[in-house]
Amino acid sequence: MELVVALGLIVFKVALLIAILLLLPLPLTWLERKVAGHMQQRMGPMRVGWHGLLQPVADGIKLLTKEDHIPAEADRFLFKLAPILALAPPFVVFVAVPFGESVSVLGTEITLYVSNMNVALLFVFAVIGIEVYGVIFGGWAANSKYAVLGSLRTCAQMISYEIPMGFAVIGVVMLAQSMSLLEIVRAQADVWNIVYQPVGFFVFFVAGLAESQRIPFDLAEAEGDLGAGFHTEYSGIRFAFFMVSEYAIMLLTSVLAVILFFGGWNGVLVPLPPLLWFVLKVAFFVYVFIWFRFTFPRYRYDQLMAIGWKVLLPLSMANIIITGVAFL
Amino acid sequence: MSRALDRTGIWIGWAFFADLANALALTFGYMFSRPVTMQYPDKEKWLPYSRYRGHHFLKRDDEGEIKCVACELCARICPCYCIEVIPYEDEKGNRHPAKFEIDMARCLFCGLCEDACPADAIALGQQYEFSSFSSRDLVIGRDDLLGKPGKAATGGGVVSARLNTEQDVLVETSEPQGYNWWRNIRRT
Repeated sequence: MELVVALGLIVFKVALLIAILLLLPLPLTWLERKVAGHMQQRMGPMRVGWHGLLQPVADGIKLLTKEDHIPAEADRFLFKLAPILALAPPFVVFVAVPFGESVSVLGTEITLYVSNMNVALLFVFAVIGIEVYGVIFGGWAANSKYAVLGSLRTCAQMISYEIPMGFAVIGVVMLAQSMSLLEIVRAQADVWNIVYQPVGFFVFFVAGLAESQRIPFDLAEAEGDLGAGFHTEYSGIRFAFFMVSEYAIMLLTSVLAVILFFGGWNGVLVPLPPLLWFVLKVAFFVYVFIWFRFTFPRYRYDQLMAIGWKVLLPLSMANIIITGVAFL
Repeated sequence: MSRALDRTGIWIGWAFFADLANALALTFGYMFSRPVTMQYPDKEKWLPYSRYRGHHFLKRDDEGEIKCVACELCARICPCYCIEVIPYEDEKGNRHPAKFEIDMARCLFCGLCEDACPADAIALGQQYEFSSFSSRDLVIGRDDLLGKPGKAATGGGVVSARLNTEQDVLVETSEPQGYNWWRNIRRT
């Protein structure tokens, strides 16, 4: 009986997680367009629903009812596989991400995470690395020069930025003496990691921007000089898959930044429920992502590579060394 | 000395992303500024500028008779030949147009007809909403032209849009000069 309850709980949590992650892009696209509009002294969507709140729903209906077009020369199997490969990893990663300690519902303690892996951080980085296959396959299978160019750029970008990102979090792991995200947050109960690891956070955040392919590193879909990057030939629901995946990665980067460097659900000064603290911090980072997008221009491709290999990588290594020396 | 100091200051600023921070502060400030968007035609409409050249209208004199004397100067001067006038003589012996048609699909709103008219009978008014699904509907006859709104100075207003709006759209008439959208642009 206990096993059934435990299993049911896990299934329920996973279902809830998937539902939240699938629905979150709706308010996020709305927010993005609103913020964009107001930063440019426009209003953003206003016509569908109150202040355009139903605009994402309208967009969703539009994407669902559009023709699902597959180019004649495309590799049909890979073409269909790529959006799923791009979409699944960001969802899988959230299995290892804790959102809080636990809440008691009807007398039973329910933990706010699906699993407490002791190598959660490794799991996150390993699984998120799979997403690059979706990009490669998507660009290659479409058999279009713009898509291939876009996917080549994206691959190079994602692979070269995963390295400094991985190095940047080692300092955090050293401080917490654990790779479990839960332990990392518990270790920050008194002082957040941002105090000890400002350089680590900087490297992590910049690499995170590049990982989620947002401005100033959105070379994958540079509207001006490539068609639309690796998803040039995608339309309808498959294109929506790529978009959802992009937003999920943006969310994941925000969540990881909060967990690793900003104390997770530990609050300061104001006593709020831990979950609310967590959500507020993540929302702030999501806003920062959007804010960056409508502030900065795009880096050139050689600049992107130079920043990744010549700035972020040495910085992250120096960070590891200094943290290690300080530990001794 | 000071230039060297300036340069080091700039370098220190770059190292700590002072320029990026400035940019972020600027966009953040703009986010809370008033949008310049006028929500046409859902929420608001505005009078065009007082010298705006919109839809043509024909004038009547004090007796209510059409001012036009059908001299066809407007048709002659029109660069796109969109005016067609056929004159007739009424019982008092005055010349008037029997047919006065403007093809709005071809008109380029240069206002030359207004300048050429010796009888001050035709002018370009304030109406700017007359799009149509058929170019045939854009050929406007004499009687329609007599009913069109006039200039802002003579009380010409904007008639309601043909789009279905939820509530009646108000025209703001407190400003005779029309809406200056550029007034609301923030300059730094």
